[in-house]
Amino acid sequence: MSSPSNHDPRLDQAAASDESLLAAHEKVLGKQPDEKAKYKLLPLNLLFLFSGLIFFAGTYLNRYSGLFDSHVFNENALPTPAGAATAVKVDPLVLGKKQYEAICINCHQANGLGLAGTFPPLAGSEWVTGSEERLIRLVVYGMTGPVKVKGVEYSAAAMPTIGKVKDSAYNLSDEKVAAVLTYIRHEWGNAGAGISTEQVAAIRAKEGDRKPYVQDELLKLP
Amino acid sequence: MSSPSNNAEVTAVDTAGRWPLLLLLASGLSWLVISGVLALVASIQLHSPTFLTDCAWFTHGRVSAMAETSFVYGWAANAGLGLGLWILGRLGGSPLRALNWSVVGALFWNAGLTLGLIGIATGDATSFSLLQLPRYVQPLMVAAYAAIGVSGILAWNGRRTDGTHAAQWYAVAALFLFPWLLIAAQSMLLWSPVRGVLQAVTAGWYVQGVFTLWLAPLALAAAYYVVPKTTGRVYPSYEFAPLAFWTLIFVGAFTGGRHLIGGPVPAWIPTLANAACSLLLFHYLVVVLNLRSVFSAAGVAARFISVGLIAYFVSGSLDFITSFRGVALVTQFTYFAQAQQQLAVYGGISLLLFGAIYFAVPRLTGRAWASGAFVQGHMVLVLLGVALLVGSLGLAGWIQGHALNDAKVPFSAIAASTRPWLLAVTAAHGILLLANLLLLVNFARSVYSVCCSCSQAGELAFRQPSTMEAPTS
Repeated sequence: MSSPSNHDPRLDQAAASDESLLAAHEKVLGKQPDEKAKYKLLPLNLLFLFSGLIFFAGTYLNRYSGLFDSHVFNENALPTPAGAATAVKVDPLVLGKKQYEAICINCHQANGLGLAGTFPPLAGSEWVTGSEERLIRLVVYGMTGPVKVKGVEYSAAAMPTIGKVKDSAYNLSDEKVAAVLTYIRHEWGNAGAGISTEQVAAIRAKEGDRKPYVQDELLKLP
Repeated sequence: MSSPSNNAEVTAVDTAGRWPLLLLLASGLSWLVISGVLALVASIQLHSPTFLTDCAWFTHGRVSAMAETSFVYGWAANAGLGLGLWILGRLGGSPLRALNWSVVGALFWNAGLTLGLIGIATGDATSFSLLQLPRYVQPLMVAAYAAIGVSGILAWNGRRTDGTHAAQWYAVAALFLFPWLLIAAQSMLLWSPVRGVLQAVTAGWYVQGVFTLWLAPLALAAAYYVVPKTTGRVYPSYEFAPLAFWTLIFVGAFTGGRHLIGGPVPAWIPTLANAACSLLLFHYLVVVLNLRSVFSAAGVAARFISVGLIAYFVSGSLDFITSFRGVALVTQFTYFAQAQQQLAVYGGISLLLFGAIYFAVPRLTGRAWASGAFVQGHMVLVLLGVALLVGSLGLAGWIQGHALNDAKVPFSAIAASTRPWLLAVTAAHGILLLANLLLLVNFARSVYSVCCSCSQAGELAFRQPSTMEAPTS
């Protein structure tokens, strides 16, 4: 038998009837386990391939599953035995950089220069390296209205509320706020002292829930 | 005029099922064109953000959700089910029963989908990918699906021969698996939502399941039936087909965790997905080995299925490669992931379905397609469109993924560097829309020629099929 030529795109001719198609394929699968020599050995290369894939999958699963522990989120880690967990001291510069790249970078940019006319710079800014009282309040509660930085007035954008206070846009903990402030006071040639979690907590406790600051309120502070 | 009743190739199965099955195929092809228009709008908005955004109904989020929903639940579902029922009927050996259920089901399915799309447009979409249909139409979809599926199950239960064929396994599996996926997903995500991270895990499982356990089996059923019908040859390595089938069924949905790489889920979930993707390679390989005789066969169906088969295999391999965390670091959440999805649903699923439609429709109508030029035009345009679509999205995603990992590159620069590729994506959507319009018009003309019973000069006749010989060894 030959397969029919299919030259006309309007109609694909059939080369086999349904009954014979079923019968011929059924014969391959062969449901006659009793008849000797009817079984074909699985072709060896496919068998090896499938075994190899199973081996790979099993090994990979064993290596990167964190023992199926629901608290392991890093595929290279193993679950910590109960009671063995120790608090690791986090480097505020590392934590701060991470926060900066998640939040601040959108306006103030990776180089800390902001965008001319729209977002004020942090590099070399007197607000950043100057009064800690002002800087912490500015970041925790946010700021609206115009602001003068390095002699240039910016009024296009508002500083969002970052800290863990009412109506905050980001709800960052005091530790993270302190870390990001330490980071921006240390980066791009800035040389301010670090800011501690306690300082942020103290100011947040003192001010409670309040609306964002405007420039004049902050300038009244030391 | 050729008279179908005297011809052994067009049987009572075809004449009995003609109108119900043509209804399903017609709905599928109509939704394909509608989703093409929506996809075109959505892709234009990616490089010209102000396009049509004054009207809330056509904002990007809603349009792209509508495009995706109408593609999967409109085109792939209707066409895949129509072909699945036809294959179950033909291989079952007797005319399909309970087809009035299928007609009612199809009407309600499409009515529900229309209502759901209007719901998405007015802002009622859910937040889960591929499950965006609003909550109020979801139960209707389940009921309508069940009604459509009844005649397939009856055909399977009442089959004339004890032996079964791979096409039947895949078709029956798809009929049963989708309601399970849909009911589980909508009850866990929409009716009594599970908490927190578990929602993302469920959503990932559902998205992958829709492809691996529903659309892929429907398309494979079509391909597994049409290929030996056109080549006349028994499948090589057919003894592996059951193993490939069960690998897909057992392992398929576990690959869903690859959508969660980098997400806040326990490490073992993405790891399990990677292991599952590697096992699934066996399935993809055996399917290609089984169907490989199609590469040397002639005919429209064979050509569509050849390319679809390659796309299906490549998409499976890409799933495996991108399920490694190092690769996902670049590709995850970029246009590359979209390219993978398009390669799977357009390249894999749709091309296989197109091939089967070109084979099935003449048998359902009892006569050849109305226009050969339209058939060839559709084929050229679709293959061009899919290649352009997947290629440009993939390149855009690769560029985007590398740039996103570099904190020094501003976001606007990334958008600018992918823009030329997004223009190519729009061109691809335009080509695909044109192609599918050709198919719809050709389909309508072919069906119309049956309605008016007009005879055409030079009508092509069905040739009597010969008997397939079993291998002698």
